[in-house]
Amino acid sequence: MARFFREILFIAALTLLGVAFSLFSGLAPLPWEGSALAAGEIRPADARALQVIWIDVRSEADYHNQHIPAAIYLDDDHWETGIIELMDAWLTQPRPIVVYCGSEHCGTSKRIAEHLREALPDAEIYSLKGGWDAWLR
Amino acid sequence: MAAITNRHLFVLLARLALAGVFVTAALPKIEDPVAFAHSVDAFRVIDAGLSNWIALCLPWLELVRGIGILVPAIRRASGGLIGLLLLLFITLHLSAWARGLDISCGCFGSETGHASADYRWLILRNLLLLGAVILVLKQDRRNNIKDSCS
Repeated sequence: MARFFREILFIAALTLLGVAFSLFSGLAPLPWEGSALAAGEIRPADARALQVIWIDVRSEADYHNQHIPAAIYLDDDHWETGIIELMDAWLTQPRPIVVYCGSEHCGTSKRIAEHLREALPDAEIYSLKGGWDAWLR
Repeated sequence: MAAITNRHLFVLLARLALAGVFVTAALPKIEDPVAFAHSVDAFRVIDAGLSNWIALCLPWLELVRGIGILVPAIRRASGGLIGLLLLLFITLHLSAWARGLDISCGCFGSETGHASADYRWLILRNLLLLGAVILVLKQDRRNNIKDSCS
């Protein structure tokens, strides 16, 4: 039994070494560095759990190349058709709406989400934290 | 003699499978603890602060146990810890399934975005791994008894 506990201690020590490496090596962003949400943002995992209506505001080529299943394409040039499609989906089954652009650093999703909040004041509207890149990860 | 050889081969394969699964599961999570923290959060069992620390520590524990199951000096404790964690994972999956959560498992890091958990498969996979752990632990116990007798 003493040997078993020595093994456990050894495993714990190795694990702590690994954790220290993650903490101090800068190998990857630490969880608490990437977890802060700005107002109006939602994480991919939470959006997935909520069964939302997705709005894709990347380029048309990116949308046609690949998009989240059932996502509605929306941009300034296709605003009318996109908003009609969105209204149709939302009125049929009211759900939160999540807007996504390409990455963490694109601002289009936040801008479009703002426009949508004005157009649909009763809807729950978010922008996806990390955008399409975060969805793919 | 042939039966003993076969059993040893079977146990070795079980060890290699466990090592492969746990090392493969650990590496992407070590590379991207932020995404793993989101997966832990999605189970809605613990608060965000604790899930961040779990996302940082658990992948290293998985890596050490995955390698440890092949290292004679720590393989018994590694096997025991793997078994305990598999039981915990099975409980978590059952709980998420019962609550109707539509989440990706996060078992091998952040899986492709639209991959929702197939709870039946996840639980079956963990039960199979648990079976492999029991096989390995039984063999270790047999070896210990043999060592203490000789």
